[in-house]
Amino acid sequence: MNLRIAGMGWVTPLGRGIDPVWNRLIRGEEATAEPISDQISDKSYCAFRIPSEALKDLPPNPRLRRASAISRFAAAAGVDALADAKSTIGEIDVQRMALVFAASNGGVIYTKRFYHNVVEAGAQSASPLLFPETVFNAPASHLAAILGIEGASYTLVGDGAVGVLAMKMAIDLLNNELFDFCLVVGAEEADWLLCDAYHKWRLLKNEPPIDLFHKPPRGMILSEGAGAVLLAREGTVQIDEVDAGGNFSQRREANGIVRRILHDLADQDACIVASANGTFIDLAERAAIEKELPGAIVYSPKSALGESVGASAVWQIIAAAQALRTKRLPQMLHSDPEIALSFPTIDEIPGRRAIVLSCGLNQQVAGLRLSI
Amino acid sequence: MESNQNRGASGTEMAIFNDLGVKTRESRVAVVAAGVISPLGFGLDETVASLRANKDCISPVTRFDVGKCRCKTAGQISDENLHQRGNGVKPDRLHRATRMMTAVFEDLFREDLQFRPELTVIGTTSGGMSFGEDYYRALYRHGSLRHSARWIANYPPQKPVIDAQHALGISAPCQVIANACASGTNAIGHAFECVRSGKYQRVLTGGYDTLSELVFVGFDSLQAATPEKCRPFDRDRSGMVLGEGAAVLALENLETARARGACILAEIIGYGISTDNHHLTQPDPSGSGPRRAMEQALESANRSADEVDYINAHGTATTFNDAAEGKAIAKLFAKVPVSSTKSMIGHSLGAAGAIEAVICLGALKAQFLPPNINFRNPDADLDLNIVANQARDARIDIVLSNSFGFGGTNASILIQKLAA
Repeated sequence: MNLRIAGMGWVTPLGRGIDPVWNRLIRGEEATAEPISDQISDKSYCAFRIPSEALKDLPPNPRLRRASAISRFAAAAGVDALADAKSTIGEIDVQRMALVFAASNGGVIYTKRFYHNVVEAGAQSASPLLFPETVFNAPASHLAAILGIEGASYTLVGDGAVGVLAMKMAIDLLNNELFDFCLVVGAEEADWLLCDAYHKWRLLKNEPPIDLFHKPPRGMILSEGAGAVLLAREGTVQIDEVDAGGNFSQRREANGIVRRILHDLADQDACIVASANGTFIDLAERAAIEKELPGAIVYSPKSALGESVGASAVWQIIAAAQALRTKRLPQMLHSDPEIALSFPTIDEIPGRRAIVLSCGLNQQVAGLRLSI
Repeated sequence: MESNQNRGASGTEMAIFNDLGVKTRESRVAVVAAGVISPLGFGLDETVASLRANKDCISPVTRFDVGKCRCKTAGQISDENLHQRGNGVKPDRLHRATRMMTAVFEDLFREDLQFRPELTVIGTTSGGMSFGEDYYRALYRHGSLRHSARWIANYPPQKPVIDAQHALGISAPCQVIANACASGTNAIGHAFECVRSGKYQRVLTGGYDTLSELVFVGFDSLQAATPEKCRPFDRDRSGMVLGEGAAVLALENLETARARGACILAEIIGYGISTDNHHLTQPDPSGSGPRRAMEQALESANRSADEVDYINAHGTATTFNDAAEGKAIAKLFAKVPVSSTKSMIGHSLGAAGAIEAVICLGALKAQFLPPNINFRNPDADLDLNIVANQARDARIDIVLSNSFGFGGTNASILIQKLAA
């Protein structure tokens, strides 16, 4: 099936809008980490947050009045992707559009606040206003209401690979004659609790910079935001293939799955947009790339934007599509010259294909290939 | 113009795609095996026996303190029953959901050893929320966090699915759908579409959820949970009770299943999905969302409403759900027998649609109508043929199963008994 990316939108710690954020990445900018703390502990962490001005022109909607941050990010990215698609392929019939929303931790801020009240003051103080926003599909519900989608809406949950799994689901949905379009949105919100959990899991770094592909891994910085792509039968960038991959039980097994996916998607001229984030993932990807596509140019947006988990794979897809459209890739920040991988330079990238690798922290691995 | 005929591994004719890549002919989808664990019991036979015995499986909540909640009961699976199916692992080291998923996977693969899925699609609502609760309580009390690695590792919703697959030697990619209370039916529906399209031969699907304090208190705070008996579609219904469990179904292209001599339990013939944008937690009172899902399921199966012999309703026993669903059913179907088996086992959220699909398989196999227990007085506003309080024998060939959820997600599937 010939499916293409017809529109894109993203909200990132470097701002909102495909071209403005891309230009900042090309200029070598990276997000600024902010301290993140919580009443429950004296310990603070740092994370890449969404600047408040990024959402200031989000159209007012009653659904967003009490909505969580993740819902606002998803709404902004989704609305932008649709507007981008309209400028590319014309009017879009939302009645023939499906929605696939991807997240990992979901509305963690409201979930924590809701449960905090229960723990502190008992079940009778639980808020009926907060509870609905804790449900994983609340952002998708808000987005569907804003866009007027009344057909299929799915929320997929998983780890950093969930965005690629969402693309796979979107392609399967577009097999159905009921749909001409599918909007894939990945989103995440950062919270102290997530930082604490990742820290206890020894995956978090205290402060930037993020050193990717380093051995041993030095840790990641959590970030937040959303990315959205509208799939259609017209558009500039083609989805060649999506590999829903597999699952690893032990971290040491991740490399084998990444390598198998890379082998299946391999194209000698393709660049690779990797999911390396400063953790064990980097080593799994590095070993696989060295074996399967040793000369490929490798880039990971997480050196500049951090690890946004549910949003991260969609950001990677957008970066890969932008690389094909602009024939440029941002430079890898803080890269170690000793690492035997080919990182982007200021030169044009060769080839017309890009591979997105997505290895999550919680057992899921997937990948896809785009072409132009 | 038809241009591209796909063939499966066995050479069976599959879906045909035209120049635009749209399918023009569809594969039939068989259910070749199923596994279930719920308060009704373990496995299809125990489940059917409990349904026929009109068993009320609701009991006082024991897993956490509900002293300050209005509702104090739920449909629970005993730890004893669950620990017997722990695959030799110490009970406290495994997620309850992992135990449930492993148990239902074993149940399914006992029926069909050859089934090897290309994709797994599972629904859940709360995933490993109870581990998040443990983690937060420990933080709040400045207590010991020595178990934190286990709590964090078990929190992701995909964990029980991947662990259960691993225990059974399966490595299919997992898509975990979290469409609130419709998750299980959405998972089955999407899996059905995947096989029907001809792109997949075998997809494993289902749903799971375990009781969690956060979710229990949440429904209580909304006053959606009842301190009384759960009475779906009754005039005096006062709300839902929660439940837990897991169920999985093995879906396969009917022709390839027949070719390898697989036992075919039933055929899934239709799926409908709609999104109701009325409100995050309340359905449009007209019932338009559920009606569109049911209409679409009938259309997708190319069946008419009068061919449906039984409806396993979403039937949570909340005022708003039952009114909207009841109106939609009454408008589409003329006096088709309806029951909500949530009256017996509670609402198991992401697992509900999957468990209820297996209940439908049992009803088709044993030719009976599962009961809607605790039913006393019909609601004068709902013109429904409720299977009140007693299971009864009936000839049924086509059944409809509904699931509706927060966020306005509505899903319906049609299951058909396969002629011998």
